[in-house]
Amino acid sequence: MTAMICPTCGIEMNHHAEKLVLPSGPDEASSVDPVLGGMIEELYTCPRCGSGASRRAEPTRGE
Amino acid sequence: MTEPGRALFVPVLLGTVRQGRMSLPVARLLVSELSRRPGIQTELIDIARLPLPIDDAGQAIKDPTFSAQMSRADALVVVSPEYNHGYSGLLKHALDTCLKEYIHKAVGVVGVSAGPYGGTRGIQDLLPVLRELGLVAIFWDVNFSAVQSVFDEAGALRDQAYLPRIDKFLKELVWMARTLRHGRESVALE
Repeated sequence: MTAMICPTCGIEMNHHAEKLVLPSGPDEASSVDPVLGGMIEELYTCPRCGSGASRRAEPTRGE
Repeated sequence: MTEPGRALFVPVLLGTVRQGRMSLPVARLLVSELSRRPGIQTELIDIARLPLPIDDAGQAIKDPTFSAQMSRADALVVVSPEYNHGYSGLLKHALDTCLKEYIHKAVGVVGVSAGPYGGTRGIQDLLPVLRELGLVAIFWDVNFSAVQSVFDEAGALRDQAYLPRIDKFLKELVWMARTLRHGRESVALE
């Protein structure tokens, strides 16, 4: 996983949560992870300044 | 551990737009009690002031100012009046405009009612919503029953018994806020 860098402090942010979110419309339907039933939003917080960031995770691969 | 100099931000969300709302003096009291605490910054966020349309909902109508306030927040006090055995629909409308802003942050609910139950039915309905939004609810509530008799015409508190209850509520909320800030910043998901 690529590190999330704080745009203010330039240091690696702490990855502390993964939240399942549901598609808000048809345009997001193709992004739904078939295993989890939604999309994963990754949450990060900078250990120095406390600012937050997030990004969508890559879908998991079913086995 | 919270760094010295980095105050916790704990806004109070006034969860009703109704004219003549008696939750306003409650929200002001919570802001006042929070303001007395060292290392805490707070402000009153009135959902009636949020420029949210009602022809759409959710994050599609996110207000940048409210989003920034929720991003900055370490914890949230929700003042939630009970209307017809539930919480306010416009409170839900406002809360739903954010999501990532809430994750791993503390929340405490202050129930308000004109009747005898202090908004408990609205609180019980609100808790699963707060959980789904990623907030971490504390086990203390504050319940204002018969709120029309709790404050005088000037909005001053008549019944001082509420103050020690608010103190317990805020102590727990601040502890949870500090703990979750430490977790967000330093404890990695494994």
